[in-house]
Amino acid sequence: MFSADASLLIQIVWLILLLLMFTGLYQRIQIKLWILVIKSKLNVIKSVLEEDKNRVKNMLRNMGLSTPEELVSRLLDFFIIEPVSIEPTDIIKRMDHLLRVTESTFKQVVGRYLPSLGKHERSLAESSLSIVAAIGLIYRVLRHYAIQSEKEENYILLMQLMYLMPQILRVVKTYHEALDSFMYGKPIGDGVGPLVAYTLSEKCNITSRRVVDDTSVLEAVYENRRLIIVKAEGPGSNVGHPGAVISRIVEELGGRVDMILTVDAALKLEGEESGLVTEGVGAAIGDPGPEKIAIERVAAKYNIPLRALVVKMDIREALTTMRKKIYDSVGVVVENIERIIKENVPEGSTLIVAGIGNTMGIPG
Amino acid sequence: MSSLEAIAAALFLLVILYFIYDYYLKKKREESTKYVTRELLMCLNCNYRVEQDFEPGDFIGLVKGKCPNCGGLMKIKAIFSVETST
Repeated sequence: MFSADASLLIQIVWLILLLLMFTGLYQRIQIKLWILVIKSKLNVIKSVLEEDKNRVKNMLRNMGLSTPEELVSRLLDFFIIEPVSIEPTDIIKRMDHLLRVTESTFKQVVGRYLPSLGKHERSLAESSLSIVAAIGLIYRVLRHYAIQSEKEENYILLMQLMYLMPQILRVVKTYHEALDSFMYGKPIGDGVGPLVAYTLSEKCNITSRRVVDDTSVLEAVYENRRLIIVKAEGPGSNVGHPGAVISRIVEELGGRVDMILTVDAALKLEGEESGLVTEGVGAAIGDPGPEKIAIERVAAKYNIPLRALVVKMDIREALTTMRKKIYDSVGVVVENIERIIKENVPEGSTLIVAGIGNTMGIPG
Repeated sequence: MSSLEAIAAALFLLVILYFIYDYYLKKKREESTKYVTRELLMCLNCNYRVEQDFEPGDFIGLVKGKCPNCGGLMKIKAIFSVETST
């Protein structure tokens, strides 16, 4: 009796499954399930956004701004309109202009609200606001696609959202974690380039220092060679304009530079070891374009060898407080620089070493 | 219920249990990786080193405190995060 009942039940289950398959109902059930999952993940992102917004508001209050809501809401939806790309003439110049205007506008707005704050503290406030704005943008874009795909029952769009969600959540969590470093001015993994430049400058006999375009230029003598060290001006949260500054230095020297060596953090491939130092050719700089092309153009113009050293890390390590193993790689990079100089740059020559990245927590 | 159906049901249950266990392990692994920020101070005089917790406002190169060994000035040599298990 029991066996007959079970067999009937199994037959009914099969019948339901067949009906679901042939009527397409299973797809509707799938859509509903995906929408539920996507909405729950969106709620996670929303709670992260609200938490981070409150943290930044408290930070601004501690900096002396009594009503930070206005500043936060003003900069949260700040946008940049990309330059026209179907006409590529001058696109780098236009992009550079837009990026510089964005940077100066952000600085001006924050400066207007926090006039008594020093450059260092203000840069931390600017970066913290940028992080909250980035999480806000991710949330708004995801919410848009979730609502749109639900309204239109767009199976493909929902599926893409569903499978991209873990990756997007990882990025949001990384930004969330990074906020702590930016609020307190701790050096981040991306700062490995400036830290190498600083360590190298500590080892050399510095003959002159100047700041051009938010970028420090230090001149030193290294084993009878003229060494020019370029890095963002620290210890605030700043990436400087190393490309434009290197281009300017080379032009000032009439192209008499024997090597340009850039040091930067690079995103590792899955399976690669964090903190691994690798050597290559080209401009190691991860900007949207203007800074990198400035280095490439000036190097090509005067036929200057362009060498690069990178320290591998993942996005989480790059944006959050510098891990010990990344810090340990600094010594290895400096040894590599010294080896490259001795092997390739004869005595009496001039070379430029640029530490690329955010110099937060690193002076010079 | 035939023995074949019983085996199928047991297998199904095992698969479900495996997924729950895998989810639990993943969650635990994610939660257990916490980092704490430390700073390394070095005496400018005798190279004596001290590692301590990071304090807001500190940065690399900042001269901070006196050496417990020789009384010389201590400078922040490094700031980094280290893993701590909870």
